[in-house]
Amino acid sequence: MQTSREDFGIVVRSAFLSKGTQKRFSLTIFIIISILFIFLETFDLKPLSFVRSVLKDTIYRGSLIVSSPSKFTNNFKNSFTSHIQLYDNYSKLKEENNQLKTKISKSNFLELENFQLKKLLADQVKSKSNFLSARVMLDKQSPYLKSFIINMGSNKNLKNGMTVMDGPNFIGRIVDVNYFSSRVLLITDFNSKIPVVVEPLAKHAILSGHGAIEPTLEYLPENHNIKSGNKVYTSGKGGIFSPGIPIGEAKIENEIIKVLLYSDLSQITFVNVNIGNLDNK
Amino acid sequence: MSLVNQIFKFKFFNFLPLFLLFFISFNGNSVLDLNFFSINLHYILVYYWTLRKPETLGYSLIFLSGIISDVIYGFPLGINSLSLLVIAGVASYVRVVTVRITLINDWISFLPALLFANFVYFFSLYFSNYNIDYLFLFKNSVFTFIFYPILWGLFSLILNLTKP
Repeated sequence: MQTSREDFGIVVRSAFLSKGTQKRFSLTIFIIISILFIFLETFDLKPLSFVRSVLKDTIYRGSLIVSSPSKFTNNFKNSFTSHIQLYDNYSKLKEENNQLKTKISKSNFLELENFQLKKLLADQVKSKSNFLSARVMLDKQSPYLKSFIINMGSNKNLKNGMTVMDGPNFIGRIVDVNYFSSRVLLITDFNSKIPVVVEPLAKHAILSGHGAIEPTLEYLPENHNIKSGNKVYTSGKGGIFSPGIPIGEAKIENEIIKVLLYSDLSQITFVNVNIGNLDNK
Repeated sequence: MSLVNQIFKFKFFNFLPLFLLFFISFNGNSVLDLNFFSINLHYILVYYWTLRKPETLGYSLIFLSGIISDVIYGFPLGINSLSLLVIAGVASYVRVVTVRITLINDWISFLPALLFANFVYFFSLYFSNYNIDYLFLFKNSVFTFIFYPILWGLFSLILNLTKP
């Protein structure tokens, strides 16, 4: 019995403590360094943040170079398929154009009516938002974390928590700022919880990501009467995000209220970062 | 000329695992996510080469590739490195205790390696207050285990080509 325990000890020592051929350090040293790294991540000290920022910026640039051939192949494939589908697209667009033409006349009337009503209410809504446009640098589609990297960081005064939009639509917030780059956590991620309001019923809820394409509405009041097609906006509760930014439409599936996003998160190239709402504080 | 070709071929296949290790880290392909299943290429690559030819992938390089994966995936630094090093640790242990090289031996011993690595992964993420889809992690582990023999075969071919 004792011999087998000794054998086990020898094997473990050999596997974890010996350096092996052409190796300067043992495995245990690197395991300890890794644990130290994880532990240090919980500290937010300036020198540590600076080192992390430099390291991440360097790796993002490296990744940009390494992934350029696959990016080129994807672009080529997309352009090839879009060429093949040219005629189908043309027919669809023609049909869509006819439908839109009929709708335009209706919308002109509504626009005019809206303008007059606003005047009547003396609605003086002025946006204090200040936007910065950024390009999506890396979009790795991680199976675990739904996020991407944009090409701006603390060099453009970006801060954690800032709102990120695709056109007028809310898509996420900044969670990690480096000097030249930042990470945007998308609303579909597990860690994303956004206070929202569902119109026209004005019901408050929390939009929770689950890693899937459609996030869901949680913490709704009982008998909420929300129907498919109801619009979802940011509520601005908590003061982190501006209120009234469009997100998507409610879609009820098996009694779960999903939100069909206005933006296709896999097709984003440029984003707007709202730097105004945090700067004003 | 033939000797030069042979040296080139030998060098190329010798560096191929290392190249793959860093390519998948930088390119964010550590976890190959297909529609119906996903495989953790990183784990299989590190396990196989630590078990069969440990001098190909040094511990420092495994650690570095883990750090790169952490940055690319947006995880706290050290999580992927630690789980990869655990995989390497189990592989080193298995290398010491096994005499015969067979697919079945490797495949069965890969299971505890996966279990330990996922436990470390789960624990580190829990400690860092990160939520991930644990069902995805479970499915990923199952398919990584199932697909191990296919990559074992592929890596064995490469290993044969590295022999002079």
